[in-house]
Amino acid sequence: MKQFALWAAILVAVHSYAAEVIPPKPAGYFNDYAGVVSKSAALRFNEELAQFERETSNQVVVAVFPKMQSDDDVAAYTQRVAQAWGVGQKDKRNGAVLFVFIQDRKMFIQVGYGLEGALPDATCFDITERRIKPHFRSGDYEGGLAEGIDSILKAARGEYKGTGQTVRDRQRDNGRMFAPNLLLFFFFFMLLFFLSRLKPRRGYHYSSGGGGWSWYLGGGGNSGSSGGGGFSGFSGGGGSFGGGGAGSSW
Amino acid sequence: MNKFAIGCGGVFVILLFIVIVLALALMGRYNSLVKSQQAVDSQWAQVQNVYQRRSDLIPNLVNTVQGAANFEKSTLTDITNARASVGRVQLDPNKAPTDAAQLEQFQAAQGQLSNALSRLLVVVERYPELKANQNFLTLQAQLEGTENRIAVERNKFNEVVQSYNTQVRSFPTNLIAGMFGFAPRPYFTAQPGAERAPTVNFNFGSPAPVASPAASAAATP
Repeated sequence: MKQFALWAAILVAVHSYAAEVIPPKPAGYFNDYAGVVSKSAALRFNEELAQFERETSNQVVVAVFPKMQSDDDVAAYTQRVAQAWGVGQKDKRNGAVLFVFIQDRKMFIQVGYGLEGALPDATCFDITERRIKPHFRSGDYEGGLAEGIDSILKAARGEYKGTGQTVRDRQRDNGRMFAPNLLLFFFFFMLLFFLSRLKPRRGYHYSSGGGGWSWYLGGGGNSGSSGGGGFSGFSGGGGSFGGGGAGSSW
Repeated sequence: MNKFAIGCGGVFVILLFIVIVLALALMGRYNSLVKSQQAVDSQWAQVQNVYQRRSDLIPNLVNTVQGAANFEKSTLTDITNARASVGRVQLDPNKAPTDAAQLEQFQAAQGQLSNALSRLLVVVERYPELKANQNFLTLQAQLEGTENRIAVERNKFNEVVQSYNTQVRSFPTNLIAGMFGFAPRPYFTAQPGAERAPTVNFNFGSPAPVASPAASAAATP
């Protein structure tokens, strides 16, 4: 009987996970899937975050989604997404992700184990509540994100030393490893594409018509381009997340 | 005679070969069992760690809340008592519990504390003075973060225990596990009553009601 109850509990847990979608790994550091920020600002934020990884090895990613694709609590859902993306270096576990869900009016900063000292929950709460929220309330997403990114970088700087390269830079240098990876990514994205086509989820899903698919094109088209003013692609280093961080709704 | 000796030697070599292959296979299985048991134990340490973090936050929280004018005493006493009973359930931090009853006891004590804390956060809604207090808001963010960490680490614990138990129970590793005393480990289970949403009573007319006895009765099993 006890066994049965346990299995039932596991089944229920698996079932409730099935209702949510973990978005594919982002192509860049700054990802505006909701289209709330101007192109030039998005590019500027992206380069700022890429440069931050070169200097400090900390991976900070921003993802702005139109809507949360889960029925779960925002803290629990974003932890799973950040973990799946593997933001942060594997050994230092120094990743942080700022999630924004426009229609839900919710945001959350997920902090990897290695940055919990530099970005404690109280600091994250301060950033979302007092730096970002006032801007979002007045509809100024660009200003809020700029101030949020600025505060996160300021807090996380000084914790680790960088190598002058991002994970993506290293992969590109190591061409031998990179080619099969690219192929793998390609197949992975194709698979996701077909899967999402086969089973349309309730509510919103990424349609090829809007700006939603842009990261597929961005991921394939830009990953090969070398630096020098271009768009810096993002590759997760395999960091892990323990649920640290805080969020607000506006 | 000579032929017989060669035959004997051949059989011996084949037997020796079989023994060596078996020993190697056994060693591999044994080592991977040890490895996943270590994973369970270290994840248990991580679980204890986040629960400890919550315990450490409480004195600060209680002090801050006490400062608010005529704050309900019963809620605070509940929290202090629950924290004390958590302290009485002492489990080895370096070794995950092997006995399901032990883990259940630990979980029950922690669950009581969770209930008391969530009741506090509901009661606080009636004190605008606290809701505006920066110190309290910071503590609340920390408390929420700790609860998130607890959920994550408990999940991870169940995952590593599941892979360990699968190993212990599947053939032929179960023979080795039996020989060297590797027992299956218990899981964390959902809190009894966790599937019910907490009842919240809105009493707009009457002045601050005492912590609804229905809620506290439901919380104690």
